[in-house]
Amino acid sequence: MKTAHEIRPGNVIMLNGSPWVVQKTETTRSGRNAAIVKMKLKNVLLDSTTETTFKGDDKMEDIILERLDCTYSYFADPMYVFMDAEYNQYDVESGNLGDAAAYITDGMEEICQVTFYEGKAISVELPTTIVREVTYTEPSARGDTSGKVMKPATVAGGATLSVADFIKTGEMIEIDPRTGEFKKRA
Amino acid sequence: MSTEIANQHWDIFCEVVDNYGDIGVTWRLAKQLVKEYQIDINLWVDDLNSFSHILPGLKPDQATQTFDRVTIHQWNVPLDINFVPGAVLIEAFACELPEQVKSQLIAQQQSPDDTPPLWLNLEYLSAEDWVEGCHGLPSMQASGIKKYFYFPGFTPKTGGLICENELLEQRTAWQSDPANKLALFSQLGLSGIDVQDKVISVFSYETLALPALCQQWQESTQKIHALLPKGRSLNSLTHLLPCSVEALTPGQQIVINNLTLHILPMTDQPSFDRLLWSCDFNIVRGEDSFLRAQWAAKPFIWHIYPQEDDYHLVKLEAFISLYCDNLAPEIAKYWTELNLAFNQEQQSAVNLHWQNLDSVNLPLLQHAQKWPIFALNDADLATRLVQFVKNS
Repeated sequence: MKTAHEIRPGNVIMLNGSPWVVQKTETTRSGRNAAIVKMKLKNVLLDSTTETTFKGDDKMEDIILERLDCTYSYFADPMYVFMDAEYNQYDVESGNLGDAAAYITDGMEEICQVTFYEGKAISVELPTTIVREVTYTEPSARGDTSGKVMKPATVAGGATLSVADFIKTGEMIEIDPRTGEFKKRA
Repeated sequence: MSTEIANQHWDIFCEVVDNYGDIGVTWRLAKQLVKEYQIDINLWVDDLNSFSHILPGLKPDQATQTFDRVTIHQWNVPLDINFVPGAVLIEAFACELPEQVKSQLIAQQQSPDDTPPLWLNLEYLSAEDWVEGCHGLPSMQASGIKKYFYFPGFTPKTGGLICENELLEQRTAWQSDPANKLALFSQLGLSGIDVQDKVISVFSYETLALPALCQQWQESTQKIHALLPKGRSLNSLTHLLPCSVEALTPGQQIVINNLTLHILPMTDQPSFDRLLWSCDFNIVRGEDSFLRAQWAAKPFIWHIYPQEDDYHLVKLEAFISLYCDNLAPEIAKYWTELNLAFNQEQQSAVNLHWQNLDSVNLPLLQHAQKWPIFALNDADLATRLVQFVKNS
Protein backbone atom coordinates (compact mmCIF):
# COMPACT_ATOMS: atom_id res chain seq x y z
CA MET A 1 0.00 0.00 0.00
CA LYS A 2 1.14 3.54 -0.71
CA THR A 3 -0.28 6.85 0.40
CA ALA A 4 -1.73 9.18 -2.21
CA HIS A 5 1.21 11.47 -1.52
CA GLU A 6 3.64 8.73 -2.62
CA ILE A 7 1.88 7.86 -5.87
CA ARG A 8 3.62 9.09 -9.03
CA PRO A 9 2.59 9.38 -12.69
CA GLY A 10 3.07 6.03 -14.35
CA ASN A 11 2.04 4.04 -11.25
CA VAL A 12 -0.95 1.73 -11.57
CA ILE A 13 -3.35 1.72 -8.64
CA MET A 14 -6.31 -0.48 -7.79
CA LEU A 15 -9.50 1.42 -6.97
CA ASN A 16 -13.02 0.14 -6.77
CA GLY A 17 -11.94 -3.19 -8.27
CA SER A 18 -10.29 -1.69 -11.37
CA PRO A 19 -6.68 -0.90 -12.28
CA TRP A 20 -6.02 2.77 -13.05
CA VAL A 21 -2.94 4.28 -14.65
CA VAL A 22 -1.94 7.47 -12.90
CA GLN A 23 -1.42 10.02 -15.65
CA LYS A 24 -0.88 13.12 -13.58
CA THR A 25 -0.59 14.07 -9.92
CA GLU A 26 -0.80 17.51 -8.40
CA THR A 27 -0.13 17.98 -4.69
CA THR A 28 -1.35 21.07 -2.89
CA ARG A 29 -1.52 22.06 0.73
CA SER A 30 -4.73 22.54 2.58
CA GLY A 31 -5.01 24.07 6.04
CA ARG A 32 -2.80 22.85 8.90
CA ASN A 33 -0.19 21.36 6.54
CA ALA A 34 -2.48 18.61 5.24
CA ALA A 35 -1.70 17.54 1.68
CA ILE A 36 -4.36 17.17 -1.00
CA VAL A 37 -3.51 15.14 -4.09
CA LYS A 38 -5.42 15.62 -7.31
CA MET A 39 -4.93 12.83 -9.83
CA LYS A 40 -5.83 12.25 -13.43
CA LEU A 41 -6.48 8.52 -13.82
CA LYS A 42 -7.14 6.25 -16.76
CA ASN A 43 -9.12 3.08 -16.27
CA VAL A 44 -7.04 0.34 -17.89
CA LEU A 45 -10.09 -1.85 -18.56
CA LEU A 46 -12.56 0.75 -19.79
CA ASP A 47 -10.11 3.20 -21.39
CA SER A 48 -11.95 6.07 -19.63
CA THR A 49 -10.30 8.90 -17.73
CA THR A 50 -11.35 10.70 -14.56
CA GLU A 51 -10.10 13.35 -12.21
CA THR A 52 -10.18 12.58 -8.52
CA THR A 53 -8.92 14.02 -5.24
CA PHE A 54 -7.41 12.33 -2.21
CA LYS A 55 -6.16 13.27 1.19
CA GLY A 56 -2.37 12.96 1.12
CA ASP A 57 -2.44 10.11 3.64
CA ASP A 58 -5.23 8.11 1.95
CA LYS A 59 -3.90 4.61 1.37
CA MET A 60 -4.23 2.83 -1.95
CA GLU A 61 -2.99 -0.36 -3.54
CA ASP A 62 -0.12 0.25 -5.93
CA ILE A 63 -0.26 -2.85 -8.12
CA ILE A 64 2.93 -4.33 -9.45
CA LEU A 65 2.55 -5.29 -13.06
CA GLU A 66 5.07 -6.63 -15.51
CA ARG A 67 7.72 -4.05 -16.31
CA LEU A 68 10.50 -3.90 -18.87
CA ASP A 69 13.51 -1.63 -19.16
CA CYS A 70 13.24 0.19 -22.48
CA THR A 71 14.60 3.20 -24.29
CA TYR A 72 12.58 5.77 -26.19
CA SER A 73 12.65 5.18 -29.91
CA TYR A 74 10.34 7.59 -31.76
CA PHE A 75 6.95 9.29 -31.76
CA ALA A 76 4.22 8.16 -34.15
CA ASP A 77 1.30 10.39 -33.23
CA PRO A 78 -0.45 9.58 -30.88
CA MET A 79 1.90 6.78 -29.79
CA TYR A 80 5.30 6.93 -28.19
CA VAL A 81 7.34 3.92 -29.26
CA PHE A 82 9.79 2.32 -26.83
CA MET A 83 12.20 -0.53 -27.47
CA ASP A 84 13.64 -3.18 -25.17
CA ALA A 85 17.12 -4.71 -25.23
CA GLU A 86 15.97 -7.31 -27.73
CA TYR A 87 14.67 -4.66 -30.12
CA ASN A 88 11.00 -5.41 -29.45
CA GLN A 89 8.90 -2.28 -29.87
CA TYR A 90 6.06 -1.21 -27.60
CA ASP A 91 3.53 1.54 -28.32
CA VAL A 92 2.31 3.68 -25.42
CA GLU A 93 -0.50 6.21 -25.89
CA SER A 94 0.67 9.76 -25.33
CA GLY A 95 -2.10 10.37 -22.78
CA ASN A 96 -0.74 7.54 -20.64
CA LEU A 97 2.59 9.30 -20.26
CA GLY A 98 0.95 12.23 -18.49
CA ASP A 99 3.44 14.94 -17.59
CA ALA A 100 6.35 12.63 -18.45
CA ALA A 101 5.67 13.29 -22.14
CA ALA A 102 7.09 16.77 -21.71
CA TYR A 103 10.49 15.27 -20.84
CA ILE A 104 10.69 12.93 -23.83
CA THR A 105 13.28 14.05 -26.35
CA ASP A 106 14.63 12.51 -29.55
CA GLY A 107 17.80 10.60 -28.88
CA MET A 108 17.30 10.40 -25.13
CA GLU A 109 19.30 7.53 -23.68
CA GLU A 110 17.79 7.17 -20.21
CA ILE A 111 16.37 3.76 -19.37
CA CYS A 112 12.60 3.99 -18.87
CA GLN A 113 10.31 1.38 -17.37
CA VAL A 114 7.37 0.37 -19.52
CA THR A 115 4.48 -1.21 -17.58
CA PHE A 116 2.26 -3.88 -19.11
CA TYR A 117 -1.25 -5.01 -18.30
CA GLU A 118 -2.41 -8.22 -20.01
CA GLY A 119 0.32 -7.85 -22.58
CA LYS A 120 -0.45 -4.23 -23.45
CA ALA A 121 1.98 -1.40 -22.69
CA ILE A 122 -0.02 1.00 -20.54
CA SER A 123 2.42 3.43 -18.94
CA VAL A 124 5.99 4.59 -18.76
CA GLU A 125 8.06 5.76 -15.82
CA LEU A 126 11.16 7.83 -16.41
CA PRO A 127 14.21 7.54 -14.12
CA THR A 128 14.02 9.59 -10.94
CA THR A 129 16.74 11.88 -12.26
CA ILE A 130 17.12 13.05 -15.83
CA VAL A 131 19.34 15.71 -17.39
CA ARG A 132 17.84 18.23 -19.81
CA GLU A 133 18.99 21.39 -21.53
CA VAL A 134 17.28 24.62 -20.56
CA THR A 135 15.91 25.95 -23.84
CA TYR A 136 14.64 29.21 -22.38
CA THR A 137 14.69 31.12 -19.14
CA GLU A 138 14.78 34.82 -18.35
CA PRO A 139 18.15 36.21 -17.29
CA SER A 140 18.73 36.35 -13.53
CA ALA A 141 16.77 39.25 -12.09
CA ARG A 142 18.39 39.53 -8.70
CA GLY A 143 21.83 38.02 -9.09
CA ASP A 144 20.96 35.46 -6.42
CA THR A 145 23.41 32.58 -6.13
CA SER A 146 21.93 30.81 -3.10
CA GLY A 147 19.52 28.72 -5.14
CA LYS A 148 16.58 29.84 -3.03
CA VAL A 149 15.16 32.32 -5.53
CA MET A 150 13.37 30.49 -8.32
CA LYS A 151 12.18 31.45 -11.80
CA PRO A 152 10.36 29.59 -14.60
CA ALA A 153 12.27 27.76 -17.31
CA THR A 154 11.49 25.58 -20.31
CA VAL A 155 13.59 22.49 -20.99
CA ALA A 156 14.13 20.27 -24.02
CA GLY A 157 10.95 18.25 -24.52
CA GLY A 158 8.77 21.21 -23.63
CA ALA A 159 8.34 20.88 -19.85
CA THR A 160 8.27 24.07 -17.82
CA LEU A 161 9.46 24.10 -14.23
CA SER A 162 10.94 26.35 -11.59
CA VAL A 163 14.72 26.54 -11.57
CA ALA A 164 17.23 28.41 -9.45
CA ASP A 165 17.64 32.04 -10.45
CA PHE A 166 21.28 31.55 -11.47
CA ILE A 167 20.46 29.02 -14.23
CA LYS A 168 20.94 30.31 -17.79
CA THR A 169 19.51 29.28 -21.15
CA GLY A 170 21.60 26.51 -22.69
CA GLU A 171 22.71 25.00 -19.39
CA MET A 172 22.09 21.35 -18.51
CA ILE A 173 20.12 20.69 -15.32
CA GLU A 174 19.07 17.67 -13.28
CA ILE A 175 15.31 17.20 -12.83
CA ASP A 176 13.06 14.74 -10.99
CA PRO A 177 10.50 14.10 -13.75
CA ARG A 178 8.01 12.58 -11.28
CA THR A 179 7.53 15.92 -9.56
CA GLY A 180 9.03 18.36 -12.08
CA GLU A 181 11.43 19.44 -9.37
CA PHE A 182 14.73 21.12 -10.30
CA LYS A 183 17.58 19.38 -8.47
CA LYS A 184 20.80 21.11 -9.52
CA ARG A 185 22.96 22.27 -12.38
CA ALA A 186 24.31 19.15 -14.19
CA MET B 1 -37.33 25.51 0.00
CA SER B 2 -37.47 22.23 -1.84
CA THR B 3 -39.10 19.37 0.03
CA GLU B 4 -36.32 17.16 -1.36
CA ILE B 5 -33.92 18.76 1.10
CA ALA B 6 -36.15 20.04 3.90
CA ASN B 7 -36.56 17.53 6.73
CA GLN B 8 -33.62 15.47 5.57
CA HIS B 9 -31.18 14.44 8.24
CA TRP B 10 -27.50 15.27 7.77
CA ASP B 11 -24.53 14.43 10.00
CA ILE B 12 -21.51 16.68 10.48
CA PHE B 13 -18.40 15.33 12.22
CA CYS B 14 -15.98 17.83 13.71
CA GLU B 15 -12.67 17.17 15.41
CA VAL B 16 -11.62 20.18 17.48
CA VAL B 17 -8.00 21.01 16.72
CA ASP B 18 -7.57 24.67 17.53
CA ASN B 19 -10.15 25.42 20.22
CA TYR B 20 -12.58 27.66 18.31
CA GLY B 21 -11.75 27.52 14.59
CA ASP B 22 -13.03 24.16 13.34
CA ILE B 23 -15.96 24.06 15.73
CA GLY B 24 -16.72 27.72 14.97
CA VAL B 25 -17.14 26.98 11.28
CA THR B 26 -19.13 23.77 11.69
CA TRP B 27 -21.40 25.22 14.37
CA ARG B 28 -22.29 28.18 12.16
CA LEU B 29 -22.93 25.90 9.19
CA ALA B 30 -25.10 23.55 11.25
CA LYS B 31 -27.23 26.42 12.59
CA GLN B 32 -27.66 27.92 9.13
CA LEU B 33 -28.68 24.62 7.51
CA VAL B 34 -31.32 24.11 10.20
CA LYS B 35 -32.64 27.66 10.15
CA GLU B 36 -32.60 28.41 6.45
CA TYR B 37 -33.09 24.97 4.92
CA GLN B 38 -35.03 23.08 7.63
CA ILE B 39 -32.50 20.24 7.53
CA ASP B 40 -32.18 18.16 10.71
CA ILE B 41 -28.53 18.35 11.70
CA ASN B 42 -26.61 16.02 13.99
CA LEU B 43 -23.32 17.68 14.91
CA TRP B 44 -20.77 15.21 16.30
CA VAL B 45 -17.98 16.93 18.24
CA ASP B 46 -15.02 15.29 19.97
CA ASP B 47 -14.34 18.15 22.42
CA LEU B 48 -17.44 19.61 24.00
CA ASN B 49 -15.34 21.49 26.52
CA SER B 50 -13.79 23.71 23.84
CA PHE B 51 -17.17 23.98 22.14
CA SER B 52 -18.72 25.28 25.37
CA HIS B 53 -16.52 28.40 25.18
CA ILE B 54 -18.45 29.61 22.15
CA LEU B 55 -21.74 28.02 23.22
CA PRO B 56 -21.94 28.87 26.92
CA GLY B 57 -25.07 26.79 27.64
CA LEU B 58 -23.47 23.57 26.41
CA LYS B 59 -22.82 20.95 29.07
CA PRO B 60 -19.52 19.16 28.27
CA ASP B 61 -20.52 16.08 30.27
CA GLN B 62 -23.82 15.54 28.47
CA ALA B 63 -23.70 13.11 25.54
CA THR B 64 -26.59 14.55 23.54
CA GLN B 65 -28.19 18.00 23.73
CA THR B 66 -29.98 20.41 21.43
CA PHE B 67 -29.24 24.07 20.77
CA ASP B 68 -30.74 26.23 18.02
CA ARG B 69 -32.50 23.05 16.83
CA VAL B 70 -29.12 21.38 16.13
CA THR B 71 -28.62 18.03 17.88
CA ILE B 72 -25.14 17.96 19.34
CA HIS B 73 -23.56 14.57 20.07
CA GLN B 74 -20.37 13.82 21.98
CA TRP B 75 -18.10 11.99 19.54
CA ASN B 76 -16.30 9.40 21.63
CA VAL B 77 -13.90 6.77 20.36
CA PRO B 78 -15.32 4.20 19.98
CA LEU B 79 -18.60 5.88 19.17
CA ASP B 80 -21.00 5.12 22.01
CA ILE B 81 -24.08 6.72 20.48
CA ASN B 82 -25.94 4.82 17.79
CA PHE B 83 -25.16 6.33 14.39
CA VAL B 84 -28.10 6.31 12.00
CA PRO B 85 -27.02 7.41 8.52
CA GLY B 86 -28.92 10.27 6.96
CA ALA B 87 -28.93 11.79 3.47
CA VAL B 88 -25.59 13.59 3.79
CA LEU B 89 -22.46 12.93 5.83
CA ILE B 90 -19.92 15.73 6.22
CA GLU B 91 -16.45 15.18 7.65
CA ALA B 92 -15.20 18.64 8.50
CA PHE B 93 -11.63 19.54 7.65
CA ALA B 94 -10.63 16.02 6.62
CA CYS B 95 -11.27 14.53 10.06
CA GLU B 96 -11.19 10.73 10.12
CA LEU B 97 -14.68 9.26 10.51
CA PRO B 98 -15.23 6.66 13.26
CA GLU B 99 -14.77 3.04 12.17
CA GLN B 100 -18.38 2.25 13.06
CA VAL B 101 -19.60 4.93 10.69
CA LYS B 102 -17.38 3.75 7.84
CA SER B 103 -18.51 0.15 8.41
CA GLN B 104 -22.13 1.23 8.13
CA LEU B 105 -21.44 3.07 4.89
CA ILE B 106 -19.83 -0.06 3.42
CA ALA B 107 -22.77 -2.19 4.54
CA GLN B 108 -25.18 0.23 2.89
CA GLN B 109 -23.07 0.25 -0.28
CA GLN B 110 -23.16 -3.54 -0.44
CA SER B 111 -26.89 -3.81 0.23
CA PRO B 112 -29.12 -3.84 -2.86
CA ASP B 113 -31.88 -2.11 -0.88
CA ASP B 114 -29.86 0.70 0.62
CA THR B 115 -27.80 3.70 -0.45
CA PRO B 116 -25.11 5.32 1.64
CA PRO B 117 -25.36 9.03 2.37
CA LEU B 118 -23.65 11.56 0.14
CA TRP B 119 -20.23 11.75 1.75
CA LEU B 120 -18.47 15.11 1.72
CA ASN B 121 -15.14 16.32 3.05
CA LEU B 122 -15.59 20.00 3.90
CA GLU B 123 -12.13 21.48 3.42
CA TYR B 124 -10.35 24.56 4.72
CA LEU B 125 -10.91 27.93 3.12
CA SER B 126 -8.24 29.08 0.72
CA ALA B 127 -8.09 31.80 -1.93
CA GLU B 128 -5.52 29.91 -4.01
CA ASP B 129 -6.21 29.23 -7.69
CA TRP B 130 -6.01 25.44 -7.41
CA VAL B 131 -9.16 25.34 -5.25
CA GLU B 132 -11.38 25.83 -8.32
CA GLY B 133 -9.84 22.73 -9.94
CA CYS B 134 -10.37 20.52 -6.91
CA HIS B 135 -13.77 21.69 -5.64
CA GLY B 136 -16.48 19.09 -6.10
CA LEU B 137 -14.18 16.34 -7.36
CA PRO B 138 -14.90 12.79 -6.24
CA SER B 139 -12.45 10.83 -4.18
CA MET B 140 -12.66 7.13 -4.93
CA GLN B 141 -12.38 5.09 -1.77
CA ALA B 142 -11.13 1.51 -1.67
CA SER B 143 -14.61 0.51 -0.48
CA GLY B 144 -16.10 1.74 -3.75
CA ILE B 145 -17.93 4.59 -2.04
CA LYS B 146 -17.34 8.00 -3.52
CA LYS B 147 -16.50 10.87 -1.25
CA TYR B 148 -16.55 14.42 -2.60
CA PHE B 149 -14.18 17.23 -1.69
CA TYR B 150 -16.05 20.43 -0.98
CA PHE B 151 -13.85 23.52 -0.97
CA PRO B 152 -15.07 26.86 0.38
CA GLY B 153 -13.79 29.75 -1.68
CA PHE B 154 -14.14 33.24 -3.02
CA THR B 155 -15.02 32.55 -6.66
CA PRO B 156 -18.12 31.19 -8.42
CA LYS B 157 -16.37 27.88 -9.19
CA THR B 158 -15.77 27.12 -5.50
CA GLY B 159 -18.05 26.14 -2.63
CA GLY B 160 -18.60 29.70 -1.40
CA LEU B 161 -18.33 31.32 2.04
CA ILE B 162 -20.42 30.83 5.16
CA CYS B 163 -22.69 33.85 5.52
CA GLU B 164 -26.19 33.73 6.96
CA ASN B 165 -29.05 35.20 4.93
CA GLU B 166 -29.78 38.24 7.04
CA LEU B 167 -26.30 38.83 8.45
CA LEU B 168 -25.23 41.77 6.32
CA GLU B 169 -28.55 43.58 6.85
CA GLN B 170 -28.27 43.04 10.60
CA ARG B 171 -24.74 44.39 10.56
CA THR B 172 -25.72 47.50 8.60
CA ALA B 173 -28.56 48.20 11.02
CA TRP B 174 -26.25 47.69 13.99
CA GLN B 175 -23.56 50.01 12.65
CA SER B 176 -26.05 52.76 11.82
CA ASP B 177 -26.40 53.67 15.50
CA PRO B 178 -23.25 54.22 17.62
CA ALA B 179 -25.33 53.61 20.75
CA ASN B 180 -25.34 49.89 19.83
CA LYS B 181 -21.60 49.50 20.19
CA LEU B 182 -21.44 51.43 23.44
CA ALA B 183 -24.24 49.26 24.82
CA LEU B 184 -22.37 46.12 23.76
CA PHE B 185 -19.13 47.27 25.37
CA SER B 186 -21.01 47.97 28.55
CA GLN B 187 -22.74 44.57 28.40
CA LEU B 188 -19.31 42.92 28.01
CA GLY B 189 -18.09 44.74 31.12
CA LEU B 190 -15.78 47.08 29.18
CA SER B 191 -15.81 50.54 30.71
CA GLY B 192 -14.29 53.91 29.83
CA ILE B 193 -14.78 53.69 26.07
CA ASP B 194 -16.05 56.91 24.45
CA VAL B 195 -17.67 57.00 21.06
CA GLN B 196 -14.73 58.88 19.45
CA ASP B 197 -12.06 56.50 20.82
CA LYS B 198 -10.43 53.97 18.52
CA VAL B 199 -11.39 50.40 19.42
CA ILE B 200 -9.39 47.43 18.12
CA SER B 201 -10.27 43.79 18.70
CA VAL B 202 -7.31 41.43 18.91
CA PHE B 203 -7.78 37.69 18.32
CA SER B 204 -4.42 36.51 17.00
CA TYR B 205 -1.90 33.77 17.63
CA GLU B 206 1.28 34.59 19.53
CA THR B 207 3.38 37.12 17.62
CA LEU B 208 6.13 39.68 18.17
CA ALA B 209 4.13 42.09 16.01
CA LEU B 210 1.64 42.69 18.84
CA PRO B 211 4.01 44.23 21.40
CA ALA B 212 5.34 46.47 18.64
CA LEU B 213 1.85 47.69 17.81
CA CYS B 214 1.01 48.16 21.48
CA GLN B 215 4.10 50.32 21.88
CA GLN B 216 2.86 52.53 19.06
CA TRP B 217 -0.69 52.62 20.35
CA GLN B 218 0.55 53.78 23.77
CA GLU B 219 2.05 56.84 22.11
CA SER B 220 -0.98 57.61 19.97
CA THR B 221 -2.61 61.04 20.23
CA GLN B 222 -5.99 59.34 20.18
CA LYS B 223 -7.22 57.07 22.95
CA ILE B 224 -6.98 53.45 21.82
CA HIS B 225 -8.75 50.49 23.39
CA ALA B 226 -7.47 47.02 22.54
CA LEU B 227 -9.98 44.27 23.38
CA LEU B 228 -8.39 40.85 23.95
CA PRO B 229 -9.88 37.57 25.16
CA LYS B 230 -7.76 35.47 27.49
CA GLY B 231 -5.61 33.32 25.27
CA ARG B 232 -2.90 33.35 22.68
CA SER B 233 -2.71 37.08 21.88
CA LEU B 234 -2.09 37.90 25.53
CA ASN B 235 0.77 35.39 25.62
CA SER B 236 2.67 37.91 23.49
CA LEU B 237 1.97 40.80 25.87
CA THR B 238 2.94 39.33 29.22
CA HIS B 239 5.47 42.15 29.77
CA LEU B 240 2.57 44.62 29.89
CA LEU B 241 0.42 42.60 32.29
CA PRO B 242 0.28 43.02 36.07
CA CYS B 243 -0.23 39.28 36.55
CA SER B 244 -0.16 36.00 34.62
CA VAL B 245 -2.57 35.55 31.71
CA GLU B 246 -4.41 32.88 33.73
CA ALA B 247 -4.99 35.31 36.59
CA LEU B 248 -6.57 38.00 34.40
CA THR B 249 -10.31 38.49 34.77
CA PRO B 250 -12.84 39.59 32.14
CA GLY B 251 -13.42 43.33 32.29
CA GLN B 252 -9.97 43.97 33.76
CA GLN B 253 -8.19 46.99 32.30
CA ILE B 254 -4.48 47.69 31.92
CA VAL B 255 -3.86 51.37 31.13
CA ILE B 256 -0.56 52.34 29.53
CA ASN B 257 -0.57 56.00 28.51
CA ASN B 258 -3.17 56.35 25.74
CA LEU B 259 -3.63 52.60 25.34
CA THR B 260 -6.07 50.61 27.43
CA LEU B 261 -6.01 46.83 27.21
CA HIS B 262 -9.41 45.34 28.06
CA ILE B 263 -9.79 41.66 28.92
CA LEU B 264 -12.80 40.31 27.06
CA PRO B 265 -15.11 37.63 28.38
CA MET B 266 -15.69 34.66 26.07
CA THR B 267 -18.82 35.26 24.04
CA ASP B 268 -21.12 33.25 21.86
CA GLN B 269 -20.95 33.63 18.08
CA PRO B 270 -23.67 36.31 17.68
CA SER B 271 -21.96 38.47 20.33
CA PHE B 272 -18.58 37.95 18.69
CA ASP B 273 -20.04 39.14 15.38
CA ARG B 274 -21.44 42.25 17.05
CA LEU B 275 -18.07 42.87 18.68
CA LEU B 276 -16.35 42.82 15.28
CA TRP B 277 -19.07 45.11 13.87
CA SER B 278 -18.45 47.54 16.76
CA CYS B 279 -14.67 47.88 16.53
CA ASP B 280 -12.80 50.23 14.23
CA PHE B 281 -10.21 47.62 13.37
CA ASN B 282 -10.07 43.86 13.89
CA ILE B 283 -7.06 41.58 14.17
CA VAL B 284 -8.32 38.07 13.49
CA ARG B 285 -6.88 34.63 12.91
CA GLY B 286 -7.49 31.23 11.34
CA GLU B 287 -10.64 30.77 9.31
CA ASP B 288 -13.81 31.54 11.25
CA SER B 289 -12.94 34.95 12.72
CA PHE B 290 -11.13 35.81 9.46
CA LEU B 291 -14.37 35.44 7.55
CA ARG B 292 -16.48 37.16 10.18
CA ALA B 293 -14.10 40.15 10.10
CA GLN B 294 -14.79 40.44 6.39
CA TRP B 295 -18.55 40.46 6.99
CA ALA B 296 -17.97 43.12 9.68
CA ALA B 297 -16.95 45.51 6.88
CA LYS B 298 -14.13 47.00 8.89
CA PRO B 299 -10.38 47.07 8.14
CA PHE B 300 -8.56 44.04 9.49
CA ILE B 301 -5.30 42.14 9.77
CA TRP B 302 -5.46 38.41 9.08
CA HIS B 303 -3.07 36.40 11.25
CA ILE B 304 -3.08 33.21 9.23
CA TYR B 305 -2.45 29.78 10.77
CA PRO B 306 1.30 29.18 10.39
CA GLN B 307 2.34 26.29 8.15
CA GLU B 308 5.58 24.45 7.42
CA ASP B 309 8.01 26.14 5.01
CA ASP B 310 6.07 29.40 5.42
CA TYR B 311 3.43 28.01 3.07
CA HIS B 312 0.85 30.12 4.90
CA LEU B 313 2.38 33.15 3.21
CA VAL B 314 1.38 31.69 -0.17
CA LYS B 315 -2.19 31.42 1.10
CA LEU B 316 -2.07 34.90 2.59
CA GLU B 317 -0.80 36.40 -0.67
CA ALA B 318 -3.53 34.60 -2.63
CA PHE B 319 -6.16 36.26 -0.45
CA ILE B 320 -4.40 39.62 -0.56
CA SER B 321 -4.42 39.47 -4.34
CA LEU B 322 -8.20 38.97 -4.38
CA TYR B 323 -8.94 41.49 -1.65
CA CYS B 324 -6.84 44.21 -3.28
CA ASP B 325 -8.15 43.66 -6.79
CA ASN B 326 -10.38 46.74 -6.73
CA LEU B 327 -8.42 48.72 -4.18
CA ALA B 328 -6.46 51.87 -5.06
CA PRO B 329 -2.78 50.88 -5.55
CA GLU B 330 -1.46 52.98 -2.66
CA ILE B 331 -3.98 51.62 -0.17
CA ALA B 332 -3.50 48.07 -1.47
CA LYS B 333 0.24 48.46 -0.93
CA TYR B 334 -0.15 49.68 2.66
CA TRP B 335 -2.69 46.99 3.56
CA THR B 336 -0.60 44.25 1.95
CA GLU B 337 2.58 45.36 3.66
CA LEU B 338 0.88 45.56 7.04
CA ASN B 339 -0.54 42.02 6.75
CA LEU B 340 2.77 40.58 5.53
CA ALA B 341 4.76 42.34 8.24
CA PHE B 342 2.35 41.20 10.96
CA ASN B 343 2.50 37.59 9.77
CA GLN B 344 6.29 37.68 9.55
CA GLU B 345 6.63 39.31 12.98
CA GLN B 346 8.58 42.25 11.58
CA GLN B 347 8.26 44.72 14.43
CA SER B 348 9.54 47.95 12.90
CA ALA B 349 7.84 47.25 9.56
CA VAL B 350 4.50 46.54 11.20
CA ASN B 351 4.66 49.90 12.97
CA LEU B 352 5.57 51.77 9.80
CA HIS B 353 2.80 50.13 7.77
CA TRP B 354 0.24 50.68 10.54
CA GLN B 355 0.97 54.40 10.37
CA ASN B 356 0.71 54.37 6.56
CA LEU B 357 -2.58 52.52 6.66
CA ASP B 358 -3.93 54.83 9.32
CA SER B 359 -3.51 57.71 6.89
CA VAL B 360 -5.89 56.10 4.36
CA ASN B 361 -8.44 54.79 6.81
CA LEU B 362 -11.54 56.18 5.12
CA PRO B 363 -11.06 54.70 1.62
CA LEU B 364 -10.01 51.39 3.21
CA LEU B 365 -13.22 51.41 5.23
CA GLN B 366 -15.23 52.07 2.07
CA HIS B 367 -13.53 49.11 0.40
CA ALA B 368 -14.24 46.90 3.40
CA GLN B 369 -17.92 47.83 3.11
CA LYS B 370 -18.11 46.82 -0.56
CA TRP B 371 -16.03 43.64 -0.22
CA PRO B 372 -18.65 41.23 1.22
CA ILE B 373 -20.92 41.52 -1.82
CA PHE B 374 -17.99 40.90 -4.14
CA ALA B 375 -16.70 37.97 -2.07
CA LEU B 376 -20.05 36.23 -1.83
CA ASN B 377 -20.61 36.13 -5.61
CA ASP B 378 -24.40 35.94 -5.16
CA ALA B 379 -24.41 32.69 -3.19
CA ASP B 380 -23.10 31.72 0.23
CA LEU B 381 -21.67 28.33 1.17
CA ALA B 382 -24.87 26.79 2.56
CA THR B 383 -26.81 27.72 -0.58
CA ARG B 384 -24.14 26.24 -2.83
CA LEU B 385 -23.80 23.18 -0.62
CA VAL B 386 -27.52 22.44 -0.79
CA GLN B 387 -27.42 22.88 -4.57
CA PHE B 388 -24.40 20.56 -4.76
CA VAL B 389 -26.30 17.91 -2.82
CA LYS B 390 -29.35 18.29 -5.08
CA ASN B 391 -27.19 17.91 -8.19
CA SER B 392 -25.23 14.91 -6.91
